[in-house]
Amino acid sequence: MPGAEVEATESSVAEATASTIVESGALDDAATQMLARLEAELGDAIVEHGATYGDVVVRVRPDAWRRTATFCKEELGCDYLSFVSAIDWMPTPAIVDEGSGDTSTPAQPKETTYGVAGSGGRFQVFAIVASTRGAHQRVVLKTDLDDAQPHIESWVPVYPGADWHERETWEMFGIVFDGHPALRHLYLPFEFEGHPLRKDYPLLAREVKPWPGLVDVEPMPGEDSDDTDAAAVEAS
Amino acid sequence: MGLISSGNSPKPLTWLLNYSRKYSLWMFQWGLACCAIEMGAALAGPRYDVMRLGVIPFPASPRQADLIVISGTVTDKMAPAIKRLYEQMPDPKYVISMGSCANCGGPYWDSYSVTKGVDQIIPVDVYVPGCPPRPEAFIQGIVMLQERIQNENPSERWRATQRDPIVVG
Repeated sequence: MPGAEVEATESSVAEATASTIVESGALDDAATQMLARLEAELGDAIVEHGATYGDVVVRVRPDAWRRTATFCKEELGCDYLSFVSAIDWMPTPAIVDEGSGDTSTPAQPKETTYGVAGSGGRFQVFAIVASTRGAHQRVVLKTDLDDAQPHIESWVPVYPGADWHERETWEMFGIVFDGHPALRHLYLPFEFEGHPLRKDYPLLAREVKPWPGLVDVEPMPGEDSDDTDAAAVEAS
Repeated sequence: MGLISSGNSPKPLTWLLNYSRKYSLWMFQWGLACCAIEMGAALAGPRYDVMRLGVIPFPASPRQADLIVISGTVTDKMAPAIKRLYEQMPDPKYVISMGSCANCGGPYWDSYSVTKGVDQIIPVDVYVPGCPPRPEAFIQGIVMLQERIQNENPSERWRATQRDPIVVG
C-alpha cells in the first residue's frame, strides 16, 4: 500500500534525525577523543571542561594559554582559528522602570551566572579553533584573567590570524595581550578612552537624557490608547 | 562672477544661473549604512531614476560635486573624513542628511561610537527622515532642494553661514 510506504519512510527519517542531533551537554565520539587527547597533553592545566552543542569547551589555566594553542594547531590539527574574543561576566546594569524612559540610573544586579565550564572571575578570554581537514571538530577554549590587570599571552606567534582579533579584544575590553606585535586601536578612533564592551562602561547619552523613543508614542493601528480616547471624547 | 559676488546680478541672469544649477547637481554619494541601498534604488533603480531630475551621482571627486548626500550611520571615526571631504567641495554646496542615523543618531542614540547627527560636523540643508527613507522621500528631498536653489539669491548664498534647513515630510 502506498500509504504504509510513506509512513515507513517518515518514521525512518525521524529516527535518523534523532540520532544525528547531539544534545547540548553531550559529545560524540570524535569530540570525546579530542577531549581525551587534550587532557592527556595538558593535564593539570585544564581547570574544567564541558560541552555545548556538540563542541568541547575546555577552560585552561592562564599560564597554559599559548601552549594550548600550539598543541591544538600542531597535534590536534586545528588549523583554523575562528576567533579570539572575551567575556565580561559582570551582569548588565538593568533599567529599573522601563516604562518611564528614565535610563540615567540603572540598577546593578548582584548575582553572576557563568557559562559552560565556569569562570574564575569577571573576565575570560575565549577562542574557537577548528580542524578543516580530518576530524572536522571545533574546540572552544577559555581562560580566566585577573580582574584588576587583565592580561594574557598573545596567540599571534601560533595563529597569525589572531592579530586583529586580539587588537579588538584589547580595545573593547582592555585586556592586554603579552607579545602582541602592535596592540593599537582597530575600530575606535585613536584618541578613544575607555573600553566600551565592559559592562561598567558608562553610556553618557543614557545618563543625560531619557530614552528618546518614548517621545510622541503613537498607538498601532487598531490599538486604543488613553490619549486617543480622551481626544475622541473632546471631539464629541 | 563679479556681478554675483557684488550682489547686483540682474534678475533674469540670476534666474538663468539658478535654473542651470538646479538641473545639474553633481552629487557626491556618501553611503555609510543601509540607507545607501535606498539611495542606490533612488539613483539607479528603473522606477525612480534620479538622473531625470538632473542629478548626476558620479563625480570623480568631491571637488567636482555640488551636493553631498550623507546616507547612513556616521561614526566618530568617520566624522573627520566627512568634514574633510565636505571642505574640499567648491561653493555653493548643499548637504542632504538621509535617514534617522545621519539626522540624529537614530537607534544608536546611546552608542559609544556613533555621531548623533551629521549636523554637528557640517551644515545640513535637507533632512530626510525615515529608517530608512523610501526612495520617494529621498527624491522629495532633492526636489525641495531644487526649489530652494531656484529661488535663492546667489549672493546671499555665497555669504551665508547659517541657513534654515528643509525637513521632508
